[in-house]
Amino acid sequence: MSSNSSNQEIHFDKILGQYRSDPYNYVDMHTVHTGTVRFLIEEGAEVEGASGEWMHKPGTRLYEINRERNAKIITSKTNGTISSVCSELDGQFVEAGEKLLTIRHPLKKKEIIEGILQEVLFLFEAPERARYYFSMDIQSRIDQKGARAVFIQPGDEIITMSLMKRDTPVYYTGEPGIIHSVYFTPGDSIDQGQPLIGVCAEDKLPVVQKVITRVKAEWE
Amino acid sequence: MYSPLQRIREHQQAFLGQLDTHAFSPSAVEKILAYGAPVGAALEHHTQLNRCMDRLQQLIQEKEQQGRVLAAGTVVLADVLTDSSGRFDRAWYAPEGGVWLAMAWPDILLPEFTRLLPFAVGAACCRAVRQCGVDARLKWVNDVLVAGKKLAGILCTTLQSSGGDRYHLLGVGINGNNQVFPMEFQTSATSLRSELSQEIDLAELTGCLLAELRWSLGLLHYDEEQALAEGGSCEQGRASLLLALWQELCDTVGQRVEYGFNIQQKPLYRAVAREIDPCGGLVMELEDRSRVTEYSGEIVYL
Repeated sequence: MSSNSSNQEIHFDKILGQYRSDPYNYVDMHTVHTGTVRFLIEEGAEVEGASGEWMHKPGTRLYEINRERNAKIITSKTNGTISSVCSELDGQFVEAGEKLLTIRHPLKKKEIIEGILQEVLFLFEAPERARYYFSMDIQSRIDQKGARAVFIQPGDEIITMSLMKRDTPVYYTGEPGIIHSVYFTPGDSIDQGQPLIGVCAEDKLPVVQKVITRVKAEWE
Repeated sequence: MYSPLQRIREHQQAFLGQLDTHAFSPSAVEKILAYGAPVGAALEHHTQLNRCMDRLQQLIQEKEQQGRVLAAGTVVLADVLTDSSGRFDRAWYAPEGGVWLAMAWPDILLPEFTRLLPFAVGAACCRAVRQCGVDARLKWVNDVLVAGKKLAGILCTTLQSSGGDRYHLLGVGINGNNQVFPMEFQTSATSLRSELSQEIDLAELTGCLLAELRWSLGLLHYDEEQALAEGGSCEQGRASLLLALWQELCDTVGQRVEYGFNIQQKPLYRAVAREIDPCGGLVMELEDRSRVTEYSGEIVYL
């Protein structure tokens, strides 16, 4: 789980200034395992992420990695422009985790708000790639009053993780607060490490609301 | 006069000698059985319970209050369950005549192998009922079907005790001699007695199931040991020994299916099941020939 600056002063002007001067997210792509790499794109190329109702249509083909005659094509998960390619690795055998290229992804207003919020909120992340849904108690409280009226604290059973027909209760381990942002739809498949919810200490709620209002008002 | 539990233990012991272990060396068989040895370490029988899993949770709590832990492989059996349920709180009908049990297994496997626990229990259950003479098959992940009708169901949950210990609760329900089902299950459920037109010895079936659980859970732990020694993972394409056992019993690949996280409430899409990936994911081909791999959710055959 990631902690962040929610209990520190939030410097809006500085954060907004950073986004104004560079409204992009830089996505580094690393090798998924060892193997011989062959690039399928060049610097400056436009790439697309996965699409389709079930995100089943793969994005732009980025590189091929071949290990023991098993070739795997790696595709882009996001749209943007290839800002750098480690072309010296083309045709080379590389270790797992080696950086191969960077995609410059242009941020939308909604993504900027999310980006700022994710610096401010406590993000509770998916422990494994699995499908998630709220525990029955939390879901009924959300249904009755909305997520932002639901207060949680460490030790609360908040979510059920479902993987291969095995359900596991997930206990909250972050700072106490209200569920400000929900980053999944119950039953969605979420990758390990992706945020499930963003939690805000109750006294910080007005500050968070101010961030959203200001970005909405000031961002074109 | 033997008690029901003594009879189950005798049958369990007898079936251990009949396990299909042909693919493994004697030393591997010894290790696998040693890993699975805790299965049925303690057996508790009730004529009636609300749910076997509730009783296991109660036992875990009681042990913790005594400053102890529940023995791995503790099994709770009941002749009748009055409040049993499946996933998503679906009704599970458990009258007299079936095998209804739940077992506690400590959370000691690596995540890659923990996710195969439901496969291991499904494989054990399928192998056990096949020994009664029915042509049972597994539908991904672990529904045990005979000619499309559900003969047995598995429920796997993980719980953390108040003391912080994590257990997997592995529930198995097999329709044995019970032949009458509520209206909503009449076309979708079957029992061993209906399929074989003869009564089943439930103690023998339970003993067989426990022997098969010892084998498949032991194999899962042995699989983990081998993976650690070899240095490979399913993401890297390592073929799991447990999944190989499971695949021999599964008839999902090649079927037209409908998929959903909760298929009864919200079916999502139709596809053709193409393969099981090395991590146990179901690879399906959609109408436009693109492929989706799912690691959770459920399917029905079309």
